Amino acid sequence: MKRYSILICLVSLLILSCGGDKAQKIKISWWNFWTDANIKPVVEQIVADFERQHSDVDVELVDLTWADGHDKIAIAFSSGSGPDVVELGSDWIPEFSSTAHLMDITDIIDNDRDRYLMWDPAVYQDRVYAFPWILGTRILFANKDLLSQAGTDPEFSPKTWDDLYSASKTINDQGDDVFGFGSNSAERHRLYKKFLPFLWSNGGSILSDDGKSCRLDSPEALEALQYYLKLCETGLTDTQRRLEDAFLDGKIGFVISGDWLLKRIDREKPGFNFSTHLIPVPHEGYHSISFAGGEYLAVNAQSPHKELALELIKHICSPENQILFCLKNRTANPSSIAAASDTAFLAQPHFDTFIMQLETSRMSPAHPRWVYIEGKLEKAVESALYKAKTPQQALIDAKNDIDELLKP
Amino acid sequence: MNRYRRYKGWLLFSPWILTFLIFWLFPLVYSFILSLTDYRLLSPDVDWIGLGNYTRLFSDSDFVASLKNSFIFVIGTIPFTTVIALFFAVLLNERFRGRTFFRAAYFMPSITAMVVIALIFSNLLARGGYVHLLAQMIGLDPPANGFLLSEKTALFSIMGMDIWMASGYYMLLFLGGLQTIPNELYEAGRIAGASRWQQFRYITLPMLKPVTLFIIVINSIKSFQVFVEIFVMTKGGPLNSTFTGVYFVYETGLRQFDFGYASAAAYILFAIIALASLIQFKLLKTGWTA
Repeated sequence: MKRYSILICLVSLLILSCGGDKAQKIKISWWNFWTDANIKPVVEQIVADFERQHSDVDVELVDLTWADGHDKIAIAFSSGSGPDVVELGSDWIPEFSSTAHLMDITDIIDNDRDRYLMWDPAVYQDRVYAFPWILGTRILFANKDLLSQAGTDPEFSPKTWDDLYSASKTINDQGDDVFGFGSNSAERHRLYKKFLPFLWSNGGSILSDDGKSCRLDSPEALEALQYYLKLCETGLTDTQRRLEDAFLDGKIGFVISGDWLLKRIDREKPGFNFSTHLIPVPHEGYHSISFAGGEYLAVNAQSPHKELALELIKHICSPENQILFCLKNRTANPSSIAAASDTAFLAQPHFDTFIMQLETSRMSPAHPRWVYIEGKLEKAVESALYKAKTPQQALIDAKNDIDELLKP
Repeated sequence: MNRYRRYKGWLLFSPWILTFLIFWLFPLVYSFILSLTDYRLLSPDVDWIGLGNYTRLFSDSDFVASLKNSFIFVIGTIPFTTVIALFFAVLLNERFRGRTFFRAAYFMPSITAMVVIALIFSNLLARGGYVHLLAQMIGLDPPANGFLLSEKTALFSIMGMDIWMASGYYMLLFLGGLQTIPNELYEAGRIAGASRWQQFRYITLPMLKPVTLFIIVINSIKSFQVFVEIFVMTKGGPLNSTFTGVYFVYETGLRQFDFGYASAAAYILFAIIALASLIQFKLLKTGWTA
């Protein structure tokens, strides 16, 4: 009898699981990274909106975490079971596009190229593989109280490298417990992002325009590194998290950070007396080029519903939905130009600095071997920061290593 | 009947055997095959390159540095952990008021999540953290930005934390071992006029040999595989000073997706651990006679 009851259970389970198949809906899966309780409802709302417009479509949301999302996506794609739509960090795109896992959307997005910012990281061999969504750049945050304590005008805005250096030094000289500039210690995948704005603003670059050789041996690169090291001497070296803690504690005059710091200040220290500025330039007349990153949406090259998937992406990235999303998430840099110039958006304090900075920001070069190049670049900055090598030697070694990596 | 019973035994074992085959043996064999190829995740073409990955590893200064750090970690922690664990085990084997409290207290770190401990220690060791302040107070000259941000102290700080954390667990194993020593031996020793030290040296230590062997082998394996501490506290930096073997495998495998290369590195680590365990077995079985 017992045996039969188990059998009955199994059979009924089988019937139940088959019976669920009611109206034939098209399923589209979207893997995304927005698990925060505050922002997830917005994502769900945007998706529900899409489903209302397409009554035959069912969008399945799958949450990923930053800790292992990248691995999961890579493993899924390499086993041929990736989602229809996937959210990718800007510097991940080349590894997926160069291995033919993403759909080529070049011809379908033609009209959108002028309406959205930052297509560069999505381009591989002149073809476009991803759609920019949420962007983010780094700007300079200044503590106004510390500035006035040091006898500087609290509204002072450092425009040039010399401005920043002297203001930082004046604050740093105030005592053992206050610091001028907050610089990143040897933190993997973070440190290089802090050096790049100085390199780029000085007219330097990591790779040559054709991407075939490394240009870290240029005088501009050396000058930038030497200045960066000099600036670091006027402050505190610590991890990004602890630097931001110290900034909020009022211990650091200047720190380079992203819009997440705005969010933190809102939440933890609403009355905090700070100002935001563009990354200073070497001399007047130079462009302030900061480091940017971002979230991109791409369609799986194997997806059976490519058109719908792309439509979903366009829906998510529409100016209205970006405004909705960014205001809720306190993200200062939507990819849509219309969203970024919306009045409700610009009315948010400090968002204008981010939007202005993004206009001249760059992302890391879209190269399939970027993760290695990044490692070499970071090693160069780290070994110079820790005085294991002279800045000259560090940059020349990095150039030689990266040239080796660039060989086909 | 006998056949039926045997079949039933296998059946009862099968969930374990299945998971063993699928999630353990298969990946083990497969990763060895991968280590002989240039397989990269996401990349469709795979070439057989024989021992190419292995020769590349030994000319890779990062890998050599990571092996060196792993060895320092193992050699620098095991003697301390073992001696401290033994010391506290012997101490807490005595009868005194509150000994269960102390046993529990020393064991505490072992049941606390590694990530939590690593985060707490990151703060203790940082600039202005308690350990850093304490070092300043007693006149040492700690690195200005905290212990974890100096290439001279980062690895040793993590090793110190590891000793603190692991000792409690091995103490418990030693305590178990101590309790299996029959009391008659000590009685006989006392009658023969052995001092406390002689009792320890000639009764306790030899009787603890199997446990000691076990502890040293297990601890070596675990220490060779140190990862979470590094991942949370330093990510291998500064200047690769805490870049260990398993962290190398993680970086090449899961950051750079160079699976073939990472598999080769993992196999070299595997060989080293196997060899080290074998040597320890041999040494403690024969060389160390009481």
